[in-house]
Amino acid sequence: MIEPYDWAGGREAMLRFGPGSGPVVIAALPLFEEANRMRGFAVTILRALADKHGIAGVLPELPGTGESLIPSERIAISDLRAGFAAAARTAGGRAYSMAIRSGALLDGSVVVRRRWHFAPQPGDALLRALRRLHRSGGLPHYGGHRLPDAFLEELPDCHVEPARTLRLEGDTRPADRLVPGRALWREPAPSQDSELAHLLAEDIAAWVRACEA
Amino acid sequence: MLEVETTVRGVLRDVLGLSDDRVAAFEADTPLFGALPELDSLAVAGVLTEMEDRLGILIEDDEVDGEMLESFGTLTRFAARKSLG
Repeated sequence: MIEPYDWAGGREAMLRFGPGSGPVVIAALPLFEEANRMRGFAVTILRALADKHGIAGVLPELPGTGESLIPSERIAISDLRAGFAAAARTAGGRAYSMAIRSGALLDGSVVVRRRWHFAPQPGDALLRALRRLHRSGGLPHYGGHRLPDAFLEELPDCHVEPARTLRLEGDTRPADRLVPGRALWREPAPSQDSELAHLLAEDIAAWVRACEA
Repeated sequence: MLEVETTVRGVLRDVLGLSDDRVAAFEADTPLFGALPELDSLAVAGVLTEMEDRLGILIEDDEVDGEMLESFGTLTRFAARKSLG
């Protein structure tokens, strides 16, 4: 179900799943190209949370991303964060974030009770990736997106809040749990991994229940 | 070293969209850059970024050359040197 939400800079849309009460999981997709590869995967997780675990979920379009009317050349971290917080507020209930990759830069809002991250990417790493993409010359601008200097300059100071953190097996950084699977955000074309999506949904459901208890 | 090798194998599999069987068959002298059509300049950027992410290392531009990407062995040795210090 598609619903609008209002934030200080205007109105954006969000996809809503599951029951209208109880805890609600707010999803933050990675920024830019990785969002296209992870959207279907995030939706599969939210559907599983709703259908198998009875937990509500929301996937907002954030200002300057996806279908937002704000173009990427006006994207700002503060707006992305404000949009995420507004979506969480609009969703009602007790909000828990589920952030994938650089989505983990956006869920620092006090509206969120607890955070759950999958392969979080800090701001300095995102900046290095964008600069490298830019230099590789494969696509114009930054992987096809025009980005304002202010946004790029702010990235090194964008940190990831403490969260329950899951990573793929083979990732050597600290994690609460390692899971088997491929880095879908890197695949040459968008693909699905339903098994991994259901495993992550189970982890999130158990975590939400433990936080609620 | 084995852990680093496993990680590099996983990175190449994911970024280039290769099968498990195909990357499992990679040997130290398996040629990469110039030999794998999937490994274009965008894919190289993806490989480097994903290696940085998973191994917690930083790779500077001037460290990236044909030699580093020549074979599975050279890439793995580079990654091991970076991550093990």
